[in-house]
Amino acid sequence: MAALGTARCLFRSYSRAKNVQKSKQMLARCTTRTLCSATQDNALSDGAKPQFTDPAVQDILTRITGLDLQKVFRPIKQELKPPTYKLMTDEQLQQAMESAKEEAKKLLQMPPVLPERKPINDVLSEDKILDGMDTAKYVFTDITYDIPHRERFIVVREPNGTLRKATWEERDRLIQTYFPKDKRKIVPPLIFKEENLKMVFSQDRHEDVLNMCLVQFEPDSSDYIRVHAATYEDLEKHGKYELLRSTRHFGGMTWYLVNARRVDGLIVDLLKRELLQDAVSLVSLFHMVHPHSESAQEAASQQATGTDLLKIYAQKESQRAGYIELALQAYEQIADKSSAA
Amino acid sequence: MYRLRWVFVPWSSPYKTNLSILQRLPVRTCPGLPLLVPPSHFYCKAASLHEDAVQAAEALSRYKDRPWDYLESEEYIERYGTSPVWEGYRRNHKGGIPPQKTRKTCIRGDKICGNPCPICRDPNIIIHHQNVKLLQQFISPHTGMVYDSTQTGVCMKQQKKLNEAITTAQDHGLLPFQIPFVEYSGEDYSNSHDAVGTTPSPPSLTIGDTWYKWYSEMTPDENQVAKVKKTYKAYLK
Repeated sequence: MAALGTARCLFRSYSRAKNVQKSKQMLARCTTRTLCSATQDNALSDGAKPQFTDPAVQDILTRITGLDLQKVFRPIKQELKPPTYKLMTDEQLQQAMESAKEEAKKLLQMPPVLPERKPINDVLSEDKILDGMDTAKYVFTDITYDIPHRERFIVVREPNGTLRKATWEERDRLIQTYFPKDKRKIVPPLIFKEENLKMVFSQDRHEDVLNMCLVQFEPDSSDYIRVHAATYEDLEKHGKYELLRSTRHFGGMTWYLVNARRVDGLIVDLLKRELLQDAVSLVSLFHMVHPHSESAQEAASQQATGTDLLKIYAQKESQRAGYIELALQAYEQIADKSSAA
Repeated sequence: MYRLRWVFVPWSSPYKTNLSILQRLPVRTCPGLPLLVPPSHFYCKAASLHEDAVQAAEALSRYKDRPWDYLESEEYIERYGTSPVWEGYRRNHKGGIPPQKTRKTCIRGDKICGNPCPICRDPNIIIHHQNVKLLQQFISPHTGMVYDSTQTGVCMKQQKKLNEAITTAQDHGLLPFQIPFVEYSGEDYSNSHDAVGTTPSPPSLTIGDTWYKWYSEMTPDENQVAKVKKTYKAYLK
């Protein structure tokens, strides 16, 4: 334990030294950067690649997700209590609705979208003197309570004497053993296998699968990414976008589809449900993420907004151009009628 | 003497294990004696007993591979209708308050008890994790919790099997269940900490040396060796 403590101290001091070095390098880079031309600065400030966490992207995604209070607060199966009734004035009702909306926004918080984590292959020591001493691996876990799980040292002593850091799968298993999370299993449930996933998708329970995935896996693990990708693919194939609308997963699905450049189905669905503003914001998000595509450049040159954006997208990029144009025409007719009347 | 044995079989299909007992007791009727009018499900002929045994054996194997077929069959609908399997069952116990636990098991070896529980009394009802309709009868539709054995009347052995089957079905995704909400706030996913990030190996390894110096051949300094030998000269051979 003492040895582990000293090892941690050593590591911490080493990391601090590393950080100092890194910051020095950063300063050097900054000084050289200021001497560079202005055009490079502009390119960098546009955003070489907008990330999921950018405020503009998050804003668009939250707007598209919608806020259907009936769906967010639908009755769930839980321990039954007798219902409470309250007599309220209009103002109190208004306040209650506002607080419900705040609560709903918290429930619709989007889970993080991260790149896949790199495997850990670090060897800390190779003590050949211990080779053959034992037949089993020993795993040493730092079970100090107050440190984040991502800063917890877990090392494995192999029978051949190597002391290495534990792999991500071993880490997840051990952290769940010592610090169990609610409903997370040590062995992932069989629902995440291909056949079972297909069966669940045929029952239209995509939201349940995604919730279970959030509970079971870490956001940057390969299983998490694989299950999410499979779910989004199935949704896109069958056009069942409504299942995820007004849930916390809609933003992730939209981001996935925008990055894969397959937004047509979603735009068609939005137009069917007469959510034109959402369709427009989706197209603007697409242009933000793929600034070098034809439609993005066309839109930038024409400074288009609103339905013009959709028209440009339909002409340049989309495969289902016909439907989008028809829907736009119908909308324009309705708009003309309402303005005439 | 002819002995008439009343064997009260409340449902048309016999108990799978009761047959051995029935076969042991010789039951014959004499046409001369005033016959009591038997109820329609009164078996008192040895020939019919054999038929029943064969039928029961068939019934055992008929739904063994696909236990969910039984819940669609006419037999089931005739017997239970739309109500759950355990509805109408009443435990037999002394006093007004039933014991906190139901009996340990209804079937011990070949023998079945009197008034068996709703699952043991029907040999076609098999608890299997793919038999979703049956499992759902034992889960409350409002709270999503499994009914206790005191509510349904099943014996403890079958209740345990039921619980295991329900967890397996939920694992496979056949049965839905309520999933807790996961908070994602204040977590750092950069993986920059040394516990999960990369630590560069010590400089000696990059050169290509062994991990510890003393793993490889170490030749001692001759001056040092001479000094040591001089100090311990008296003790050296």
